[in-house]
Amino acid sequence: MTVAAKRKLLRGQGGSASESVFDRELVDLPQELRWREWMGRIEAELFASASPVGREDLTRVVGEGASVEMLIDDIQAELVGRPYELAEVSGGWMFRTKTQFAEAIKAAANLGDQSLAFTEMEMGVLCAIAYHQPIDWAGLKDIFGKEVSRDLLARLRFKELIASGPRAPRPGAPHTFVTTPEFLATFDLQSLRDLPDLDLGVGDKNVDA
Amino acid sequence: MTFQPAALSDDLKTLPKLPGWVTSTRAETLETVAFRSGAALTVLDGLVSDPKHGVPVKLFANHLALKAATATSKLEGRLAREADIRDAYYLTPPGEARGPDGDLLAFWREAAQMRMSSREWQAELRGLVGPDAVAEADNSLTATVAHAKAHGPLAGCVSAMRAVLEVDDRGERIACLLSDVVLARALNWTTVLPVSGLRLTKGMLRDLVADGQGAELKVQQRLLESVEDTIRQARDLSSKSVALKAVAPKLRAKGSDAAVALFLSEGTVAPPLMLSPMIRGTTIPMTDRAARRFCDRLVELGVARELTGRPTFRLYGIAS
Repeated sequence: MTVAAKRKLLRGQGGSASESVFDRELVDLPQELRWREWMGRIEAELFASASPVGREDLTRVVGEGASVEMLIDDIQAELVGRPYELAEVSGGWMFRTKTQFAEAIKAAANLGDQSLAFTEMEMGVLCAIAYHQPIDWAGLKDIFGKEVSRDLLARLRFKELIASGPRAPRPGAPHTFVTTPEFLATFDLQSLRDLPDLDLGVGDKNVDA
Repeated sequence: MTFQPAALSDDLKTLPKLPGWVTSTRAETLETVAFRSGAALTVLDGLVSDPKHGVPVKLFANHLALKAATATSKLEGRLAREADIRDAYYLTPPGEARGPDGDLLAFWREAAQMRMSSREWQAELRGLVGPDAVAEADNSLTATVAHAKAHGPLAGCVSAMRAVLEVDDRGERIACLLSDVVLARALNWTTVLPVSGLRLTKGMLRDLVADGQGAELKVQQRLLESVEDTIRQARDLSSKSVALKAVAPKLRAKGSDAAVALFLSEGTVAPPLMLSPMIRGTTIPMTDRAARRFCDRLVELGVARELTGRPTFRLYGIAS
């Protein structure tokens, strides 16, 4: 990511932009200030990133023994009254505006028809993949009773909502489609289990019997 | 050409097994479960801790990981079959998304690879169960290890599960994993063996959180049964790996030692991804054709099986 690369350069003060120059521990600072600085770094890292940032990446900017979770808790505590929040999304964290402001943002920025507007068919295919993954092109054809356009799948892939999964054990070893972490983030799901239950007649009843 | 089928040695007679009184009737009270689990866990501990029994521990852990993934898929309501999970994991080219079923197996395999002997295991656990469960994990682990000391390991397992599920009723896989961790800690194992989830149902876990009548007893009984199953599987894997090792010198294919080692550590081998163009984990080359012939030969010799029943995209393993 370019932002990360730029930050690394700045950190390295010109010439040697190596990781080792970066002072994670901040031993010279008193405990209080050090914690502040770490909070600031995590906030900055999340702010600069467009996608959720995982624990690993956050650990890299704070001291060896510091708990990322506790730092995040402290940042969250400070954000209570703000219109945006630090949310945990599919194994990482990201900043996002609170949902209650969705209308305001739409009204102001005219985002209505932007990147994530779906046609009905796109939504249908995405749902089918979410519930039946990993599923290949032929499997989708079985579900919809007609061929699913490869352009449509390419669009979903371009939006990073789906990705290539395991090879289907069929002639030609076609790729299957699976949903991505971005899919979960986009629809505000913690995991695939948050998908609404489908009543397929194979649910709880059989399992518990 | 005829081959002498590999004789499964009479190891099954010499390997430790459960005394009849443990399995003859069902344990009806918490005390009897605790008592019998003592016997069962001693046998299991002997099998996995003492190298002289020849249980291939890594293979055993990976094998149990697949079983655990199948069981947790059921607990989580996804209902993927063992074959689905195996396909998803082993047919994904490196670097591509595995999808939820493959990810579930990856989760359990990573769990089985935690080094409980090193100090970093807690960090590894954190990386695995995610930041959310960390606090609960830490609290419950200290409490449950104490509980396990007083009431037996299975009681500790149950209280670990309960601690997770009370906070997050969808944390089934984490609950099972922490229960396995408690077991490994109680028995001082160096690896976590995924045992806990094998026979549990959603209803049992729900009752456990709701403090239903006899819920704890039911879960402990199932845990005991899982341990008993696990003992049988350990004995089975031990004799199969002995058989494979016995025919290994007869295999003259280039790289056959490395390929045999792969069979002895992985539950499943996908020839085109894991044997060719290079044997995984080594720099020894093997062509597609050689890999296929090698696997066919193992099957002919009776020391491996084709697991899928498909004519293409075959997967081989020494265990079923």
